[in-house]
Amino acid sequence: MSTQSGVTVRPSRARRNHTRARLCVFAALAAALLLASVFAEALCPYDPNAQNLAEALQAPSAAHPFGTDRYGRDMLSRVLIGAQTSISSALVLVAIIAIVGTLLGVSCGLSGGALDTVVMRLSDVCLAFPGLVFAMAIAAVLDGGIQNAVLALALVSWPKYARLARSQTLAIQHTDYLLAARLSGCSPPALLLRHILPNIAGPVLVTAVLDIGTMMMELAALSFLGLGALPPAAEWGSMMSDGRSMLQTYPWVVLTPGLAIFLSVALFHLLGDAVRDWLDPRSGQSGRRGRTHGQGENI
Amino acid sequence: MTPLLEVKNLTVRFARGRGQPLAAVDGVSFQLFPGEVLGIVGESGCGKSTVARAVTRLVDSSSGSIAVHGQDVTRVRGRRRRELYRHMQMVFQSPADSFDPRRTLGDGVGESLRNRGVSKKQAMAQARGLLEQCGLPASLAERYPHEVSGGQCQRAAIARALAIRPELLICDEATSALDVTVQQQILDLLDRCRREYAMAYLFICHDLALVERFCDRVLVMQAGRIVEQGTPEQVIGAPKQAYTRQLIESSLLFANY
Repeated sequence: MSTQSGVTVRPSRARRNHTRARLCVFAALAAALLLASVFAEALCPYDPNAQNLAEALQAPSAAHPFGTDRYGRDMLSRVLIGAQTSISSALVLVAIIAIVGTLLGVSCGLSGGALDTVVMRLSDVCLAFPGLVFAMAIAAVLDGGIQNAVLALALVSWPKYARLARSQTLAIQHTDYLLAARLSGCSPPALLLRHILPNIAGPVLVTAVLDIGTMMMELAALSFLGLGALPPAAEWGSMMSDGRSMLQTYPWVVLTPGLAIFLSVALFHLLGDAVRDWLDPRSGQSGRRGRTHGQGENI
Repeated sequence: MTPLLEVKNLTVRFARGRGQPLAAVDGVSFQLFPGEVLGIVGESGCGKSTVARAVTRLVDSSSGSIAVHGQDVTRVRGRRRRELYRHMQMVFQSPADSFDPRRTLGDGVGESLRNRGVSKKQAMAQARGLLEQCGLPASLAERYPHEVSGGQCQRAAIARALAIRPELLICDEATSALDVTVQQQILDLLDRCRREYAMAYLFICHDLALVERFCDRVLVMQAGRIVEQGTPEQVIGAPKQAYTRQLIESSLLFANY
């Protein structure tokens, strides 16, 4: 009997199911990560800030699965609590830049003229500097603290969204369905909320999900340099920074927060990729979305 | 009798890089009376669609004036422009592109009602009624534009235009993207609406055969200007201009003329 007879698989169907399964897995993992960070206090086996110098720098064991740091604080508890700061500030940051950047970009695309010129030249200025260096300068001027780190990164990262939203708006601005909506008597706000934003949301969403990981890393970088979360608050970047001299002697102090950063950044990037594949019209997804206008990756 | 639409010396110029601005429409004047069907013919790029867009205020005119019921609307903006759309509606060339891909046909058809204060539920009910009037099953209201055929979509576009009972319907190549049998059905529908609601049409088309059958009066445009006008018999039967003759000769259906 031939092994090739009997079963035929339509390749497009197979790929589509795979895409959806991937999205579900990564979305579930991301949700689990978020839940862990929200309920971190309940999950901590020890008080993350309680010092116990008698147990300082202990290697991972049953009592302290991630070991302890130089003040005898339980690393597992600190990594869990650190998730709260790291993840929530990354989410707040991405929400700010995605919303502000998109609104600016859409207004530029729609109005053109002086507003467009001013905002786009400002974004050129932001893009002309290496982002992290620029953010370091701003964070240093603003003083430490995680809010200031978020603010500094927001000030340098909005142009990506403004440009994406502007180009998407320009692409759909003269389509017949927007003209038809104007003929139906839509006021400018109605036009924006009902027709423009839903039609450009796909690429913006993909970029935002991909950016969660990147922003988490940049926040950790600022904290590592002492420009983010202030001690004794637990934050992954500052925890790595605290332990960096002990990498060869007590590696768990550096490696456990590092692993946490690595895993969450990778997870959000994979989730972003999965969302993009899922929204991609070429993946043959039928249903309620209709045609999407070019999914933006990096611009 | 005051004309429903009076266009005087309309000129629309588009900036064109460094060179001279392009006058897409150049000194066009015409009148359209209630219940009349006025055809505009001409080759691609002669400014037919720009006339339609200027009249509906979707593009700004550079000079000249547009009056609806004797009231000047050449420069109206904002709320007053939206008021203008009570009087006139438009059907576009490409059926599927004229509906928002992320919203149902029912949403699109009922949108002008919703914008004028009708509740969501009532607008949807009226949209279903309008779709049925245009020969579509009411269940199409829940479908998305990419799920229906071009002919169905164009019927829905007509239903959308009819929603607020305009006195003027502008058809910008409304049948060009459809195959001949569907074209015929759409024309029948337009004809029925004209009789039932006494609507006037501005019928923009490059197909002389359609214009001859459907229009009371015809304008021939070339390079942004009107070169000839009259009844279809006059224009197509006894063209005065070389350009019109050329148009007729290129249309196979009129080989016998």
